[in-house]
Amino acid sequence: MKAKVFQKIAIKMTMENKGQVAVQPHLEMGPLEDGAMHDLDDECLYSSEMDAQKTHPIHSNQPVLFSGLPVGGNKMTRNGVYKSIKTVVFSNKLNLLMPFGPLAIMVHKMTASNGWVFFLSLLGITPLAERLGYATEQLAFFTGPTVGGLLNATFGNATELIISIYALKSGMTRVVQLSLLGSILSNMLLVLGWAFFCGGLVHYGKEQVFSKATAVVNSGLLLMAVMGLLFPAVLHYTHTERHVGKSELALSRFSSCVMLLAYAAYLVFQLKSHKDSYVPVGEEGSLNGENDDDDEAPEISKWESIIWLAIMTAWISILSDYLVDTIEGASDAWNVPVAFISVILLPIIGNAAEHASAIMFAMKDKLDISLGVAIGSSTQISMFGIPFCVVIGWIMGQEMDLNFQLFETATLFITVIVVAFFLQEGTSNYFKGLMLILCYLIVAASFFVHEDPVAADQVSTIAYGSIAYKYKAKLHLLPTFLVSLTTAACS
Amino acid sequence: MDHKQQVGAQSHVEMGSVEDRSMLDLDDECLDSPGTEAQKTQMPFSGQQLPFSDGFPIGGNKMIRNGVYGSIKTVVFSNKLNLLMPFGPLAILVHKLTTSNGWVFFLSLLGITPLAERLGYATEQLAFYTGPTVGGLLNATFGNATEMIISIYALKSGMTRVVQLSLLGSILSNMLLVLGCAFFCGGLAYHRKEQVFNKATAVVNSGLLLMAVMGLLFPAVLHYTHTERRAGKSELALSRFSSCIMLVAYAAYLFFQLRSQNDLYSPIDEEGSHHEEGSDNDEDEAPEITKWESVIWLTILTAWISILSDYLVDTIQGASEAWDLSIAFISVILLPIIGNAAEHASAIMFAMKDKLDISLGVAIGSSTQISMFGIPFCVVIGWMMGREMDLNFQLFETATLFITVIVVAFFLQEGTSNYFKGLMLILCYLIVAASFFAHEDPTTTDQSKQPKT
Repeated sequence: MKAKVFQKIAIKMTMENKGQVAVQPHLEMGPLEDGAMHDLDDECLYSSEMDAQKTHPIHSNQPVLFSGLPVGGNKMTRNGVYKSIKTVVFSNKLNLLMPFGPLAIMVHKMTASNGWVFFLSLLGITPLAERLGYATEQLAFFTGPTVGGLLNATFGNATELIISIYALKSGMTRVVQLSLLGSILSNMLLVLGWAFFCGGLVHYGKEQVFSKATAVVNSGLLLMAVMGLLFPAVLHYTHTERHVGKSELALSRFSSCVMLLAYAAYLVFQLKSHKDSYVPVGEEGSLNGENDDDDEAPEISKWESIIWLAIMTAWISILSDYLVDTIEGASDAWNVPVAFISVILLPIIGNAAEHASAIMFAMKDKLDISLGVAIGSSTQISMFGIPFCVVIGWIMGQEMDLNFQLFETATLFITVIVVAFFLQEGTSNYFKGLMLILCYLIVAASFFVHEDPVAADQVSTIAYGSIAYKYKAKLHLLPTFLVSLTTAACS
Repeated sequence: MDHKQQVGAQSHVEMGSVEDRSMLDLDDECLDSPGTEAQKTQMPFSGQQLPFSDGFPIGGNKMIRNGVYGSIKTVVFSNKLNLLMPFGPLAILVHKLTTSNGWVFFLSLLGITPLAERLGYATEQLAFYTGPTVGGLLNATFGNATEMIISIYALKSGMTRVVQLSLLGSILSNMLLVLGCAFFCGGLAYHRKEQVFNKATAVVNSGLLLMAVMGLLFPAVLHYTHTERRAGKSELALSRFSSCIMLVAYAAYLFFQLRSQNDLYSPIDEEGSHHEEGSDNDEDEAPEITKWESVIWLTILTAWISILSDYLVDTIQGASEAWDLSIAFISVILLPIIGNAAEHASAIMFAMKDKLDISLGVAIGSSTQISMFGIPFCVVIGWMMGREMDLNFQLFETATLFITVIVVAFFLQEGTSNYFKGLMLILCYLIVAASFFAHEDPTTTDQSKQPKT
């Protein structure tokens, strides 16, 4: 929800520095960055799911609206198509990666190099994910606080969900489980660790503090998610289910509904009561819907937001399709297990924007926002993303369950305990950050040497089947297909 | 210094009221860095020598020159625990005369105990001369030197399982038994009030212990779920990598402590003061033996401990058969209890004097040091020796460590203690000990029957 920040800055600086100006949406402001920092104080920093899901990195060349009068939620600035494109597409340095998307499609049509296609589509998705967050924020201006919060809660991790739904469609339920797990792990350990570490180094003299209450609630939700994941896994592993195979699935589906209920209750709780109990340390909590209209204004109109939302989602879907199809080929080409790619590589690159923004906010001593980005994202994926995928799989007829196999469940369990323990004090320093990063290195190393038999089977038999089906005439894929079959047979 | 006047450099004049004084003096020691000074805190010695001066501070530079006789008297004859020293040579004698492995094991264990304590003393003395940073590092390294030496000898003999078990046992005994006794006795002595300790240090240590558990958990789960890429090799590679990371984390911890302890982690009711203030408040602290004497004694004691460790490791199998106990039980329960006796006693003593931070430093700091430094260090040493020592402690031991760390972290997070908490920790230790009594460890019985190389 940081776009409105830039609006605030713009308006403030306008009223301080400039006089009456016309509505020129694409004038650039030089000293935007410093101004931005003052105004971030006034934002709602507490609701982790709402505002801070996809925070933007500060853009030094963000175009800004100028007007002398408060720009309310009702006053739309009509952008032409050109201006709209300029606002959304050309305003972010990260968007330099955008051409990689079409490039990936080209490479896929021309060569059989799955490794490259995977890598390029991954790079191509990154800026799209960030822009999707931006479009969601913009839309939230127009929909009021409640729906805005819900929007953010749903679309906050839309990229991971879209990738997961495509993988589900291809029947690669194991890849879904692994990529969601990896997203949780990378948010909890790597993003949080870097944020604590960089923030601790920058603010060396003092200990940074954050709102303990939020952290504790999120830790509690994460522990509940671990509980939801633990029971199917242990049931399966101890061979004590009543109907082999079916019990787990039924239990998973039921637990998923319960977890979705819990998440809905969490949203209600946040929206209703956050002002009273969960004031971030040192700052006033304000929700995204408070239309302090002299501070915030949308950059694009309501319909533009919706259209861009749709466009981004479509683009992400297309690239996700390629991503999912080529994961096995990439695993062969780079000689790393599919589990490692799904759990470690995919989330790191996919979450790059969130990562950068969390670090930046920590270095500006706004640890609550960083925490919102990192832990809030983890909570959302674990309590909403995973159960939602199970339900979607139920609807599609795919057998997606909550049994993440023992190794992955144990990993999640120990990680949640370590992170919950670190967070409970409410303070942070560079040493804690360093420890979290080192823990992530241990986790990554474990997955590097971990062969996941389920993933290997699923991916090789299904993904190549789907590719072979789609490109029947492409004979050059045949050797790759045979190689993958041989690999699957030998492993 | 209140009682005597001008004295010469007669280092072996004994003071009657030393015992009370040395307790006061220990106040000013660095109390919060668990890995540094409080590792091997000295027991009150009624025969402790003190240098006398008539009032001007004895700095770290002014040495009291001891003759050889004086030195021996200072180091060897000043501690009641040293009565156990003759057991060392006795063990060697018995080994040569009889084949009774049980007795040799027992006697060498008794013989090592005073040596371990004196090693800690020599390390402290040396730390006077080397300044705070190196002193802290010295304490951090030599704090658990006895366990490390025993482990290295076991590694050399190829008994990697004994290494794992003895280090695990050391952690468990420090976290549960030593801490529990300290809380219990302190709580009884200070019946009315709740004793407090520095929460921040305890939380950092708990965090490090959790990270160590994480490092141990992954190789064990990887092995147990049979999901490694190359059976056998993957675990070893992962263990070695994780060990390096854990060593980096421990180094960062030392760095972090030495840098910031004055700001953040002052013990409750006391100023955090480090070694350097020891050399300033020289009317309270002064080294008793010279720098070179410290180094020489350090070497002598290390050599003696090595010799006895050799006998210890060689006879563990025989002792296990003679006493009809499993090797796992001996390594995890008996070895650490007797080996750590000195630390144990000092932790209890400090708790009874309401200096719970020092007790915590001794107990939890020692656990942290073994788990984040000792175990990874042994893995690296094994790597260099060509031994396949890894972090896979097998499921039973890993689960034990995990639940113990969680219990202790939970108890510590409040920052207060009373006799009930101490009693619960001791009872937890009894449960753990009973579990190991009933636990047959298949790998040890195989390993110990292998020929020693």
